[in-house]
Amino acid sequence: MNDKHDGTVAATGGASEIQQRRVQVAQRRKKIDNDASAQYIQVCDHSFFYGSAQVLFDLNMDIPERQVTALIGPSGCGKSTLLRNFNRMNDLIDGISHRGDILIDGRSIYDPYLEVISLRKRIGMVFQKSNPFPKSIYENIVYSLRVAGRNRRAELDETVERSLRAAALWDEVKDRLRETAFSLSGGQMQRLCIARAIANRPEILLMDEPCSALDPVATGKIEDLIHQLKEEYTIIIVTHNMQQAARVSDRTAFLYMGRLIEYDDTETIFTNPTEEQTEAYVSGRFG
Amino acid sequence: MTKQQPLKTIPERFVVRPATLWFDRFMNYFITVGGLSIIIAVSLIFVFILLQVLPLFRGARVEPQGTFRVPGDDYVVMGTDEWSELPFFVNRRGELIFVDTVDPGGPDHRPPFTQTPAWLDEVEVSVVAYNAFRSQLLYGTSDGRFATVDVQYEATFPERGGREVSVQLRETPLMRISPAEVPVQRLAYGNSGNQAIVAAMQQVHDRYELHAVSLVQQRTLLGDGELSVDRSYDLSEHLDGKPEHLLVPSDADGVLIGMDDGRVSYLHFDGHEFHKRQMFVPFRDLDDRRIVSMDFLLGDVSLVFTASCGANRIFSLYRDPQRDARVWGHTKTFPDLERGASFYSAAMRNKAFLIGGGHIASLRYATTESVRWEEALPFWITHAALGPRYDRMLFLDDQYTLHCYRLNDPHPQAAWRTFFGRIQYEGQSAPEFAWQSTGGRDDFERKLSLVPLILGTLKGTFYAMIFALPIALLAAIYTSQFLRPEMKRFVKPVMEIMASLPSVVLGFLAALWLAPIISNAVPSVLLAMGAIIVAALVVGYLWGLLPQRIRVQLKPGYEFLAFVPVMLLVAYAGWQLGFVAERHWFVVEDPSTGLQIADFRLWFPYATGLGFEQRNAFVVGFVMGFAVIPIIFTITEDALSNVPEAFRSGSLALGASRWQTAIRIVLPTASAGIFSAIMIGLGRAVGETMIVVMATGNTPVTEFNPFTGMRTLSANIAVELPEAPYLGTLYRTLFLGALVLFLMTFLVNTVAEILRQRLREKYRAVE
Repeated sequence: MNDKHDGTVAATGGASEIQQRRVQVAQRRKKIDNDASAQYIQVCDHSFFYGSAQVLFDLNMDIPERQVTALIGPSGCGKSTLLRNFNRMNDLIDGISHRGDILIDGRSIYDPYLEVISLRKRIGMVFQKSNPFPKSIYENIVYSLRVAGRNRRAELDETVERSLRAAALWDEVKDRLRETAFSLSGGQMQRLCIARAIANRPEILLMDEPCSALDPVATGKIEDLIHQLKEEYTIIIVTHNMQQAARVSDRTAFLYMGRLIEYDDTETIFTNPTEEQTEAYVSGRFG
Repeated sequence: MTKQQPLKTIPERFVVRPATLWFDRFMNYFITVGGLSIIIAVSLIFVFILLQVLPLFRGARVEPQGTFRVPGDDYVVMGTDEWSELPFFVNRRGELIFVDTVDPGGPDHRPPFTQTPAWLDEVEVSVVAYNAFRSQLLYGTSDGRFATVDVQYEATFPERGGREVSVQLRETPLMRISPAEVPVQRLAYGNSGNQAIVAAMQQVHDRYELHAVSLVQQRTLLGDGELSVDRSYDLSEHLDGKPEHLLVPSDADGVLIGMDDGRVSYLHFDGHEFHKRQMFVPFRDLDDRRIVSMDFLLGDVSLVFTASCGANRIFSLYRDPQRDARVWGHTKTFPDLERGASFYSAAMRNKAFLIGGGHIASLRYATTESVRWEEALPFWITHAALGPRYDRMLFLDDQYTLHCYRLNDPHPQAAWRTFFGRIQYEGQSAPEFAWQSTGGRDDFERKLSLVPLILGTLKGTFYAMIFALPIALLAAIYTSQFLRPEMKRFVKPVMEIMASLPSVVLGFLAALWLAPIISNAVPSVLLAMGAIIVAALVVGYLWGLLPQRIRVQLKPGYEFLAFVPVMLLVAYAGWQLGFVAERHWFVVEDPSTGLQIADFRLWFPYATGLGFEQRNAFVVGFVMGFAVIPIIFTITEDALSNVPEAFRSGSLALGASRWQTAIRIVLPTASAGIFSAIMIGLGRAVGETMIVVMATGNTPVTEFNPFTGMRTLSANIAVELPEAPYLGTLYRTLFLGALVLFLMTFLVNTVAEILRQRLREKYRAVE
C-alpha cells in the first residue's frame, strides 16, 4: 500500500528530464495494464495549471476501491482541484492544462477517445453547497436517467426509491416527491444531492466538503451515510474538518501548497504521521 | 424636570461626521424624490395624451345666440354667408330679403333689406332653387326659361375693427331650357367647370316633361365669359310618373329624378348623350315608399333620403363590381325622424347635415351614421341653414323669427367606429378599415381607422420577431453555454455595438440598399435561409456520426471552425440555386407580348393574388431584427450566464451533455430573464419608428402578406404629426394612436411582468 513515489520533485528539469518522466509514466501504465491487482484509481505524476500558475505538483497516489479516501489540507492547497480533476469538471475553466495522468481502472481519464460524458456517468459528485435543480424531488433524482434517454416509468420509480433509501431520505420525503426540491432543509438537500449522484449507480463518488454548510446533526447523518455508501462505492472526500476525516475515511492524503505531503492509512496520519508538516496540521497548529 | 445627567463624552473616533449623516439623509430624499418624479412624469404623459384625446369623443354642443325678426312673407329658400351674419330669404316672387344678425340695436345694424336680380321685373318666377355650396340661386320662370344668380358676399375689415359683410347679386341672362312656354316646376343645375347641364321639369297639360340643356362658357384671357346654351335634350321619355325631386350633381354628369311613387331614376350624361343607368327604390322595404326629401351631401356623391315615416337613409355612388359602373347603393341608415324632413342643409366642410321637420332638428354625420345633436325646439321650424363654417345653425320659424344657434362641434367625424370599426366611405364598394388622412380635393373626407395601423404594428413586430427571436436566443445560448470564454469576450461586445447602431442608419440601409437586393432575389434569399437551417441540422447529425478519432480533433467550443465554412458554402449554394429556381418555377407570361418572364416579383402577385412591393415587411423584419437581436441577445446571454454555476456543474457532473444542460437546466432557470429579454425586444419592435418609416413604404394595409409594406402606429405619428393642424381632428387622432400604442405596450409589459414574476418564483435559486 505504501506505494509512495518521489512525486514531490519540482518540475524544474530540462527537456531531457521531461522526456525521462514521460518514459516513466508510460512504463508505469504498462505495468498497471499487466498488473491485475493494480489500484483502482492511480494518480501518476499529475501536475495541473491554471494558465501559467501551477496548482498541483507531480502528485502520485493510488486510491483503493470501496474505501473512503479523505483529502485534507489548508485552503488553497489544491485538494478541491484534484478532486474536480477526477471527473474533469475543471474542463469548464478557461486556460487550464495538465501533465501526468490519472487512471481509473487502468484507463486514462484524459484519453482523447474517452467521452467525458461517459466518464462523468461513472463518477458521481456531491458539491460543497447543495445544488438541487429547480425541479421536483423526483425529477432531481431521475435527471441522470432522463438525460441518458431512460424514461421508463417503472425504472424511474425504482431508481428514486433505491437512491433515496440509500441516501437515508426516503422516509422523510416519500410523500412529497412532486414538491420542489427547494422545500427541503439544508441537510435534506445535501442528502438529496447524494441520492441524485448515486441514482445512475456510479462506481466512484466524489464529495467536495459535503458538510461544510450543515449543522452538526445533519453532518452526523451524512457521515453515517458515507459509512454505508462505501460498501458499494469508492468515495473520495475533501474536507476541512479533521475530525470528520478521522471519523469517515480509511485513507487520508495531506496536501500542502499543491504537493502531496503524506498519504497513508487514516489512523497513521492522525496518530503517527511521518512528516512534521502533517503532524502540525492534524494537531491544529497551523492551517 | 430633573436635571439631565451630563452625557459621557464620546471619543472622537466614534463620532460620525455631520456631513456624512447629512449627505446620507440628502441622498435618501433625493432618490425618493427622483423615483417619485419619474412615476409622476409617466403618469402626466399619460394624462396629457388622454386630455388630447378626450375631446374627440365629445358630442356637439349647441347654444342659442339670439333671435331676429324677419319680414313676413312666403319664403321658399334660405341661405347664409360664410360667417352667418347676413342670411337671406327668397320669397315666391324671387326677391332676396337680407337680415343682419350682428349687433342688434348697434349703430351699424342694418334693417332687413331687399335685393333683386335685374330682370326680375320682366318675368314671373315659377321656381327658385339654391345651391349652398356654390352660393348660387337658380331661377325658373313661368315661360320655360332659367337663369342663375350668384349671391356674392364680400367681407371688408374696416380700420375701426370688426367685419363688414356686404352682398351683391350677379345674375346670368335668362336662357330658354324648353320649347314649351309653361312654368318650370323643378330645376337643377350642375357645373364641373368643363361641362354644365341644367335640367328642368314642366307640366304640359297633364303630361310631365323633362328637358335638359348643356351650357358652354366662353373663356377668354380676361376671365370667364357668359354662359350660353349649347345643346338641348328632351328627356321626357325617361319619365313614367310624376317627378317630385330633381337633382344634378355638381360634376354635371347625370340627372337624378325622384318619382312620386318612391323610385329614383339615374340618367348618366357622358358629355354628349343621356343614358338611363339605374333605377332604384330607396325605401323598398317600407309600406310607404314615397320619398319626402332627397338631397346631396357635400361632394354630391351621396344622397340623403327621408321617407314619410321618418326613415333616413343615405345612398352613395360607388362602383358595382358586377356591373362595372358607378351606381347608387344603400350605404348608411340613421335613426328615424318623427316624419319626413321638411328642411335640410348640408355642411360645407364635412359630411354633416342638418335635417328635421316640425319642432325637431337633428344634426347628423353621414360617415359614422351618428346623430351629433338632436333636439325638439320650442318653435315650428320652416327653414334651416347650417353655417358654412360649421359653427352656426339658423332656423326660421312660422312666426317669422330667425333663431341663431352657436354650434361647437370640432370633431364631428370622431366616433368609436371611425377609429376601430369598418366604415364604407363614399365611393367604396364595401365597409373597410382605412387610413387616409389627406386627399387631393377639398371635399375629400379623411379616413381615420386605426385598425390598419394597429395591424401594421403587429405585422412589423411579428416579422421582426420571427427573424430576431430564433437567432438572438440561439446565439445567446451558444455564446453562454458552448463558446470558449476567450471567444465570448470578443463576441459579446461586438453584439452590443450592433445595438448602438442608430435606427435611422439601419432604415436608410434597408430602404436604399437592402430592399432592392432582396426584391431582386427573393427566391435566393429564402433558399439561402432555408439551406442554412437544413444544413445546420444535417451537419449536426452527420457530425455525431463521424468516428470519434476525427471528432476529438476539435476541442469543445471550437466546433464552429468546422461549421462556419460549411454554412457559408451552403448559403452561397442556396443563393445561386435561387436564381435557377426562379428561372424554372417563377415564370409568368407577359400578357401584352406573350413572352415568358422569370421574375418572382411578377410571379408572386400572379400566383397568389397578393401584392408585391419592394419595401416590404420581409425587409423590415430583416432589418428591424438587426435592431432587436442585440437587445434580446445581450439580456438573454446575461440571464443565462447568471444561472448559478452550481446548477451547470451539477448537471454536467451527472453526465448530461452541454446541450442537455443548457436546455434542461440553464434555460428553465433563466426563463424569467429570457422572458424579459423577449418582452424588451418586443417593446423595441413595437415602438421602432425610423426603420419602419424609411423601409416600409408606409402603406396602411390590413394584410399579413410578407411582401407588402405596412404603416405602424409610431411611423404614422412621425409621418403625419408635422402635417396635422394643431388641435384638429387628425392631430387628436394621432394622439389617440399614441394612446393605443401606450396601452398596447403597457398591456404587454404588465402581462410580461406578471408572468416573469411567476417564472422567477418557480425557478428561484435557493440561497
